[in-house]
Parts: sequence; C-alpha cells; structure tokens
Amino acid sequence: MNKISEIVADTVRQPTDWSTAAMRRRIRKRYLFERLFSGVGLLAMVLAVGFLGLLLWVMLAGGIHGLSWTFLTASDATDPAQVGIWGALKGSLLTMAVTAALSIPIGVMTAVYLEEYAPRNRWTAIIEVSINNLAAVPSIIFGLLGLAIFLNFLHLPRSAPLVGGMTLALMTMPVIVIAGRNAITAVPPSIREAALGIGASKVQVVFHHVLPLAMPGILTGAIIGMARALGETAPLLMIGMRAFIPTPPSGITEPATVLPVQIFLWSDEIDTAFVEKTSAAIIVLLAFLLIMNGAAIYLRNRFEKRW
Amino acid sequence: MSCERPAVTLFNMFLVIASLGMAAWILGRDRARTMFARANRRGHSLPSQHASYLALWTVAPAALFLFIWPFFSDRLVMHALLSHPAAKNLPTTAMDRDALISEAMGLADGTLEAAFNPMAQQLAKPIGDAIHTYTILGLGIAAALVVAGFIFGYFRIKPDFRARHKVEQVVVSSLVVASLMALVVTFGIVVSLLFETGRFFELVPVQEFLFGTHWSPTETLVPGEPNGFGAVPLFWGTIFVGAIIAMAVATPIGVMCAIYLTQYAAPRLRSWLKPLLEILAGIPTVVYGYFAALTLGPLVRDLAVAVGMDSPTSESALAAGIVMGVMIIPLISSMSDDSIAAVPSAMRDGALALGSTKAETILKVLVPAALPGIVGGVLLAVSRAIGETMIVVMAAGMAANLTANPFASVTTVTAQIVQLLTGDQEFESAKTLSAFALGLVLFVITLLLNVIAVTIVKRYREAYE
Repeated sequence: MNKISEIVADTVRQPTDWSTAAMRRRIRKRYLFERLFSGVGLLAMVLAVGFLGLLLWVMLAGGIHGLSWTFLTASDATDPAQVGIWGALKGSLLTMAVTAALSIPIGVMTAVYLEEYAPRNRWTAIIEVSINNLAAVPSIIFGLLGLAIFLNFLHLPRSAPLVGGMTLALMTMPVIVIAGRNAITAVPPSIREAALGIGASKVQVVFHHVLPLAMPGILTGAIIGMARALGETAPLLMIGMRAFIPTPPSGITEPATVLPVQIFLWSDEIDTAFVEKTSAAIIVLLAFLLIMNGAAIYLRNRFEKRW
Repeated sequence: MSCERPAVTLFNMFLVIASLGMAAWILGRDRARTMFARANRRGHSLPSQHASYLALWTVAPAALFLFIWPFFSDRLVMHALLSHPAAKNLPTTAMDRDALISEAMGLADGTLEAAFNPMAQQLAKPIGDAIHTYTILGLGIAAALVVAGFIFGYFRIKPDFRARHKVEQVVVSSLVVASLMALVVTFGIVVSLLFETGRFFELVPVQEFLFGTHWSPTETLVPGEPNGFGAVPLFWGTIFVGAIIAMAVATPIGVMCAIYLTQYAAPRLRSWLKPLLEILAGIPTVVYGYFAALTLGPLVRDLAVAVGMDSPTSESALAAGIVMGVMIIPLISSMSDDSIAAVPSAMRDGALALGSTKAETILKVLVPAALPGIVGGVLLAVSRAIGETMIVVMAAGMAANLTANPFASVTTVTAQIVQLLTGDQEFESAKTLSAFALGLVLFVITLLLNVIAVTIVKRYREAYE
C-alpha cells in the first residue's frame, strides 16, 4: 500500500515522460504482443474453419464422381459398381419416422408439463436432472439399453427400423424437451393472463395459445434433434442394423440399415472402388443434414417472434 | 389356416382406432348440440368438449387393451401349444425347445419358407391355430370395449355434465405420464447396465477387470486364472485419446476461437464465423471417423516413419485424437464464449481505462474471471470425447496397447463395446457381458464429469449475478 502511494506521489510530482527511448520500446513491445495475440486468435479460427473446408473438399472431390442415378436408386451389393444408397436411405427414413413419432409428442408433452404444470418439488427436480443427464449420456449407452431391453427383454425384431427408431427416440427426446422448454418460457406471461382473463381454462390456455406460439421454437429444436439422430451410428450398430441388405426394407419391422452405418460398412471394405462410394454416400448424408439444418434456420428466422 | 402374414398390422390398427375416434367425436358433438337445443340452454362444457369426452371413452380403453394384449396372448399361445399332443416329444432342454418353437413360429406367420427341423413343421399348424384364435379373441374384446365405452360416454352427455373437467384431467395426467418417461429411461439404463454387469462379475472377478493389464476377451473361461479381461489398457487408451490428445488440440484452439469471436471479430464477421463452427459440430461422427482413417491416418503414419518409428500402422492414437479434438472445438468455443460474455463489462472497461491493451485485458482480466466457465466447458468436452465411438472405432484401432506413444494403435472403451457386441456371439457369454461392464464404467464417469462441470459453471454464474 505504502509503495503504491509513493509511486502515485512520484507520478504526480513528475509526469511520465513517454518520449524516452525506454518507454517507447516498452510500448512497442506491448503493441507487438497485442498484434501477435490477435493473430493467434485469427489463426485458431482459420484452423477450425480450414479443417471444415478440407474435410468437405476431400469428401466432395472423392465422391462427386460416384454420384449417379444408379447410385441413388440401387441398394447394397457385393460389386462396388452396382452398389447404391437407396436401401440405406429408405432405412434411415423409416427409422427417422419412428423416432419422430415417438420423441416429438413425448418431448413436447414433457416440456409443457415441466413449464406449465409441474409444482416446484423434489419429483420435478428429479425429472429435470434426469432429462439433463440423458442429454449428456454417450450415444453408445443408448445402444446398450436398446440391446438389453428392446432386443433381449422385449424380443423385438433385430436390425429393424422400429427398434432403431425407438433407441434414437430415447436419445432425441431430451434435446426436444430442452428446446421446447426454452420456446415455452419465451412466450410472454401476458398472453396466458389475457386468455385466462377471458375465461379460458388452463388446458385451453396452453393448447390454444402458448403451444402454437412456441411451435416454431419447438420445431426448430425437433429438427436439430432429428438431424443429430440421422447422423448417429454407434447405437444402431449395437442393435444389429449393420446387416448386408441387398433390397430396401418394406416396413419398420424388416431388417434394414441406415445411411451412417452404410458409410461405416463401406469404409471397412477392402476393395478400393468402395472409397469413392463411401465419399458419395457421405455427400448424400451431408446434403440431408444441410437441408434439415437449413429448414431449422429458416423456421427460426421466419416464424420466431421477439416479444 | 392362414399361413400369410396377419392383415392386422400396427398401421391398420392405428387407422381403425383413429377413424373410430373421429366418428365418436362427431356423434358426440351432435348429441351435445341436440341436448342443449332441447334443454334450450347452454351446457357447462362446449359441444366439442363433450365430443372429446366421448371419443376418449370410445378409443382409450380399447387402445390400452390392445397395447397390453400381446403380452397375455403370447403366454396363452405358448400354453395352448404345450398342451397340444404334437408337443409331447419336444426336447427337454430349454434352449433347444426355444429354438424349435421360434422356428415353428416363423413357419406359422410366414417369415420362414420351409422348416429346418421336421418337428417345427408339425408344430407350425397348432401354433398358427392358436395365434389365430387369440388374435380373434383379442380383437373381439377390443370391439366390445369400444362399444361399451361409446355407450357409457354417449349417455353421460347432458347439459350439466362437466365434460371439460374430465377431458382436462386426462390431458394433464397424460402430460405427467410423458414427463415420467425420462425417469423410466434413466432407470432403464441404470438397471440394465447394473444387471448385466452383475452377471459379468459372477464370471470374472472385479479386481481383474478394474486392475488387470491384459485385454483379450475369450469365449471360454478358466476359473481362478486371469482370462484377458483386464480393462486398464482400455481405460488408458480412452484417457490418452479423449482426454489428452483431443484436449491438447481442442482447448487452445477452442478458447482462442472464443476470444477472437467475442473480442476481435467485427459483428459481421462473427455472424458468419459462428454458424461455420456450428456446422463443424453438426457433422456426423462417422464422417469424422472416415476422414481420420482415410486422410489423416496415412499422413500420421508418414510422420511416424519420418521420426524414425519402424513399421507404424495407419491406425494411431494421434490421428483419432486430432480429429476428435476438432470435433470438440465448437463445444469448448461456445462454452468459453458464454462465460467470457458473462464477465461484467465494468471489469473489462476498467482494465481498458487503466491503459492496458486488449490482449492484456483478455489475459489478465477476462480469462481469469471466466476460468470456471472455461474449465466447466473443458470437462464437458472430455465427457463428450470419452463417450465418442465412431472416430476411435475407425481410426484408433482395436489393439489393446498400454503405451504412451501417440503413433501406436490404441483402443478405447467405446471401440471395444462395438467390437464385443457386433459379432454373432452368445448373449450370455462373458465376452458379451463385459461390454455392459465397460458401458457402466463409461456411464458413471461421463455422469460424474457432467455433474462436476455443471456445478462449476453454476457456482461461477452465481458469483457474478
């Protein structure tokens, strides 16, 4: 303390001479460090974005010639010239349909209950904690759950989109709940009060007013959750969706495979002709993800209201 | 007897139930309207609420019944089968009998063309008959429930009847049931992992699994001796790839990205760069894994040759770790971004007003103040990295090496779970069960990391609020 007051007193008596060589050197050093530091920041950003560019470029350059009408309409085969993506794509679509049919209603209902009805007590806290934890559980654990419960305990068909969709729904549900709760909290209380004021019941307030207004946010979250489920591989390997499927599945209980698993299977092939096919399949998968994320961003920008 | 697939598919059933519900709804609404008109006053509830009440009574009991019926009908079919004369000389061992019965089932519902075992052929007909009988019985009971529910609901529609309260009670209780799903799933994970792990530890001692250093699971066990279930090399591989190499890549780049985005980038640039980072987070891990195996793996191998390693493999801890690090960058960056933005601007302004440069402000004021949030983000990232599967399966290899050489092939907990469970082995074998023990370890550790990370971040937020 004493020392600081001495310095202050000194400075007051003799203002610092900023023009001396030593001072200028010091300032130059500090500014150099400043530039260096922002340069390192820029470098980090460039590295991250550059890696993204490299990855996309490698996939595009490697796979663009593998895309053809046959590739888009045929199914898996032993001959790399004959293989196609349609079987896996159809498997993915069926799986996603099951996932959406289960996770969206349950997720939205949970979000509505927690935001609009749940009393602040220990049970609610336990439910909230378990949802947040489920969102952080590694995906492969859901695969183990699917294997132990759906296949070995309930004896549901192996390799089927039904079981794959159920497993992914467990994974997607917490994402939808969290997005749904945020969307529902964003609806201003005045809307609820106005509806209650003219005689609507609590259920009517929620289902006629709050939910429609929160819908864009909920749908955005749901699409993002579904996009994540579409790219998921590990849990589906656990429940056997890695079979060789030469014909597209015709229903949700038929054996099937999905796009990411097909990519994994082809990447394991020894025949180098599969390299091009794998990259082409990755392009198809990334295109789907791009469409879904684009739709989510569009929904958010187009319909989201700021109060 | 029908040997085709049953026409009563899930989807048809759903259509029938939905149209019944709709019909009941319309009838209920008209009934309520005529009742109100006859009484010449408005009822307690709207016609549409009466209609929903009637639709619920028509559909819900039958739907619930159809949902639980398969569990009973399977038992009944089995009972009918075992009392059939053709079942007299079934094999006595449970496993053979189950195999035979499932073959006969396949024949009965048309999924199998021809029987492998002649006895299954004999059993197919009684099974088909029994399934047919109980399907008809189940549908009959469901139809009766529909009629009974409809009649009950229809005659309760009166102007004074409080249909809205009843319907809303059902709505709210279904919300409660939905929100309990999360609990059920958590419970299911814990119970199934604990149960299978318990069975594994009946076969293999706990201390061998947790402290053994030799991993090469076998189908046949020699009791009293180490059987190659020592998971230490897997734990080390997981930490080496996920917590050391990946974090060495992701932490500096992620934090610097956050600093650049929040402190240096112009708002326009920021609005472009942030979505780009989000794209990085949205790329499926199988794509990262393919990139690591196809592009980075050979590069790392060449590098290993250049530094003088003999016969390196293209599968290495380094290739997997680097790509995993890149995958994690957006997570660390967004967590650091949030915590830097949460530092009160008075602290930043104060430092700048005293004459420190931007870099000095960031390093001496902002980062120390945001450190708990950044650490929390790194812990979350570690938990994500050790649970990551596809990158390590495709790029790190399956060799359980206990090595600190980044050019060597290592394996991780998740990669071994995939390896153990994707063959066609017996479900009861120690090899399969060990995957659940590994899963339990993974679950517990990621859970702990998350709890710690969330606690740190929350405390820190409170400190500035």
